[in-house]
Amino acid sequence: MSSEILRLNNVSRIYGKDATQVHALTDVSLSITKGEFVSIVGPSGCGKSTLLNMMGALDQPTLGEVHFDGNRLSEMSPGELTDLRLQEFGFVFQAFNLLPVLTAAENVQFILQLLGFARHERQSRTKEVLDALGLADVASRPATELSGGQQQRVAIARALVGKPALLFADEPSANLDSTSTRELCELLREINTDRGITIVTATHDPLVMGYTNRSIHLEDGRVVEDKSNP
Amino acid sequence: MKQTTSSRVSLIYALSVRNLWRQRRRNTILLVSVICAITGVVVLNSLIRGMQLQMVDQVVYNLNGHVTLHAPDYRSDPAIARGFLGNSVEFARKLEPLNLAGWATRIKIPAVVMSERETRGVQIVGLDPAQEHISIVADLPIEGDFLVNSEDNRIVLGRALLTQLRTKIGHRIVLVMQDINNKSIEVGFQIAGVYDSDSEGMEKHIIFAGKKALQHFLDTKFITELSLRFDTRLIPPNGLEKVSQSFPNLVVVDWKNIDPILAFMYESVNAMVYVWLAIVFTALVFGLMNTFITAVLERTQEIGLCKSIGMKSSLVLYQVVSESLIIMLLGLMGGLFLSWSILQLLGDGIDLSAFAAGVEMLNLAPKIRPAVVWLDISIVVIATIFLALVASLYPAIRAVRLDPLLALRD
Repeated sequence: MSSEILRLNNVSRIYGKDATQVHALTDVSLSITKGEFVSIVGPSGCGKSTLLNMMGALDQPTLGEVHFDGNRLSEMSPGELTDLRLQEFGFVFQAFNLLPVLTAAENVQFILQLLGFARHERQSRTKEVLDALGLADVASRPATELSGGQQQRVAIARALVGKPALLFADEPSANLDSTSTRELCELLREINTDRGITIVTATHDPLVMGYTNRSIHLEDGRVVEDKSNP
Repeated sequence: MKQTTSSRVSLIYALSVRNLWRQRRRNTILLVSVICAITGVVVLNSLIRGMQLQMVDQVVYNLNGHVTLHAPDYRSDPAIARGFLGNSVEFARKLEPLNLAGWATRIKIPAVVMSERETRGVQIVGLDPAQEHISIVADLPIEGDFLVNSEDNRIVLGRALLTQLRTKIGHRIVLVMQDINNKSIEVGFQIAGVYDSDSEGMEKHIIFAGKKALQHFLDTKFITELSLRFDTRLIPPNGLEKVSQSFPNLVVVDWKNIDPILAFMYESVNAMVYVWLAIVFTALVFGLMNTFITAVLERTQEIGLCKSIGMKSSLVLYQVVSESLIIMLLGLMGGLFLSWSILQLLGDGIDLSAFAAGVEMLNLAPKIRPAVVWLDISIVVIATIFLALVASLYPAIRAVRLDPLLALRD
């Protein structure tokens, strides 16, 4: 039986004041269920990233509430929100995903170090994830020497290694060619189906949307369509 | 099993070292400047301390000792009538627990010296040569003979005075002084030898005579001073109090009271050392702060990424602070090593004999030998760590306050 993991109630996000106000999101209400693979789609500037940031506890709504597992994010302290992001969420950003001073494996281990895992456990978990994502060959290479596609895969490995409940991907295919995008989407679907991790991705790429099982369409900060994909 | 602290410490250390290495040219320049600053402070302070201690040595060495004991009123009227009985057995018993390098009993009284041609005012010092290993007397270069013992009834005078009196070794001169009854007496002495000194003032004004021989002429068993030298360069803590307790009937005068101008210079040097340290480190703190602010601004996106995926603000702060600490501790080690090397090279001292007049005026030895004062080194170490924290705090707070979203978009 599916259960709700994330819920947004009448969420609005307004930037600026008075005459310079920008309504990035207006009265958005939706619910994400465990195990879903959801895409947030729409044209540039429609509020996809803003919505993703609200869901990922990276930003606070001006109005409305975001609930994760029944807990209101607005009632959490900044430290608790940081812990929530570390322990429950995984993030893959559009660009600048990796720390350039670390190798691919060290970037993945980074999360486990923040979580406080002992060295041997960090190493075994990192190896397991890198192997699963086909990154064993590049594990010891500096992040700066990886291709765009490899960097995104390492970012996904880092997001997965802490075994999060939710994975957020913001335009993960923005800097990739179509082949790499397809590989990335296959990987995300595999993670969703095999590991049961809920994935929410913001994208304007129809190819990515085609891999998800639900699409939420935004226009001018409002949800205009929320449908299941065949 | 989770090992939160060690795991996070190793992460912070790895990130700090890699970030420092990434900007190795800039950080090498910073490191070199820290090494130079610490070396400058330590070496210059050691030279200043060396000068300071040598000033004290000169006072202590020049027939004063660390502490001198007199009868009351002697200092206002230095006459043999204001002396006291010198009981060597009692002195030895009382001074035994004080960790002294040695002690000497002397007579110091004013006199007038007359040769066939000239007359001069001098101070005659009656001493026992066997006790004078604690003073300059033991090391004075002598032409002719020095006094054989305290009963030797000849005198030794300085070369400058010999020249002024236009007399020679082996000739006789007459000393006019007051005896125990305050009556003027005239005593003829044969000149046994002539001494040379770095101080022309000493050569002109100090004449050495045998203590017992002088007591015989003055018709007394009195001495005017008991001079003590500790086996340390400075008076040990509570040293003065212990001496006072052992000799309640005598006036105890330390080297600072003997030479108040030098005491003032000594205290001024103390202040100078710390002012110099403060100036150098204050200049350094701005350079460090500027470098770390630049480092934080350059890594805005990285810091934003770290915070967005769950790095706590405290760890962001520790990361910037630890980079500063690593640079400063490396600079400290390098600076101390370089200072040690330079001080080894300067071990024989810096020869200032070319500036003899100035050196004598400042009561300095002609060679400045650096002296390492461990308290100063401890202060440099503590100040370096404190500086690392102060210099990194503002950049670290800027890093902590970065909004992860804005940073990622930067």
